[in-house]
Amino acid sequence: MASNAAVPFWRAAGMTYITYSNICANLVRNCLKEPYKAEALTREKVHFSISTWNDGKPEKPVLRSDTLED
Amino acid sequence: MAMAAIRREGRRYAPLLFPRPNAAVRSSLVSEEDVPFGARSISTQVVRNRMKSVRNIQKITKAMKMVAASKLRAIQVRAENSRGLWQPFTALLGDTPSVDVKKNVIVTISSDKGLCGGINSTSVKISKALHKFSGPDKETKYVVLGEKAKAQMVRDSKKDILLTIAELQKNPLNYTQVSVLADDILKNVEFDALRIVFNKFHSVVSFLPTISTVLSPEVVEREAESGGKLGELDSYEVEGGETKAEILQNLSEFQFSCVLFNAVLENACSEQGARMSAMDSSSRNAGDMLDRLTLTYNRTRQASITTELIEIISGASALEG
Repeated sequence: MASNAAVPFWRAAGMTYITYSNICANLVRNCLKEPYKAEALTREKVHFSISTWNDGKPEKPVLRSDTLED
Repeated sequence: MAMAAIRREGRRYAPLLFPRPNAAVRSSLVSEEDVPFGARSISTQVVRNRMKSVRNIQKITKAMKMVAASKLRAIQVRAENSRGLWQPFTALLGDTPSVDVKKNVIVTISSDKGLCGGINSTSVKISKALHKFSGPDKETKYVVLGEKAKAQMVRDSKKDILLTIAELQKNPLNYTQVSVLADDILKNVEFDALRIVFNKFHSVVSFLPTISTVLSPEVVEREAESGGKLGELDSYEVEGGETKAEILQNLSEFQFSCVLFNAVLENACSEQGARMSAMDSSSRNAGDMLDRLTLTYNRTRQASITTELIEIISGASALEG
């Protein structure tokens, strides 16, 4: 990766483009007015359980849940 | 009523006149131990129990089919709308399944719940074929979404699994969830090309296993030099202060997230469609089984009435004569 170009602040902080766009989307959703806001926030719920495997052995699964995980 | 009275009469004389019934009288469905003790006639109890349980199963599978149909309707609209997310990417960057890379990561998408026909097995079969196809000096690893594929992969490809993800469908599927998942995958996995294996939903009865390829930005650069669709990237003008490499990286991450979102939705559609057809054929089979059991039941019942009559009449004529 060429580092002579100025890297945007979010990439320098370790975020990927996906995380960046999710945070922006979250900000936009929070700008909505009340009935639409509740509906839009239900579209943000995250829930899954991920577990990394080393050499054929799974480690303890990590549950990523709640509204938005960055 | 009269029949019952005659039957009772017959039973009173029966132990004196005839020894215990022999095996030839029994119908093939009734086994020795299941007949209630002391019953003289052939018992229809067993057949009746089987019919009751088959009827219950038929009702349950019919209900499951209805549920799957309603879920399918809801999610089909979303899946078709999400197709618009990755189409621009394919127009821009092309989809090159034949690309030759060192590190392949195969993302297999499957369901968490069962009773959905053969779709999970086809996804796993294709993933394993891709693995074998990729050749000797290339590394191929798996990321598995869904319990069903995990169960099948663990049997023989344990060493090649990098990540497994479960409980994805607990909340209704949304882009945020899938993008967080894509982010996790991107952070934990090194890849040159990601191949996403899922069942694309064409119609309620047809789900075709599909492979979508997402390349990492370095590979895109490499392929751009060799010409083809990617070679035309240079003819685009880049606005703003970003370089082409950065834009490619952003695009590649976003492409992965969009393609994964579409793949998860299509797979969920295919799962509901497959479940509908599986439950439909299961209710039909239960109906056939019920018909055959009804015939056996009637035959058994008529045979038992006939033997009762024979016993009574021969008993009565023996008394007279």
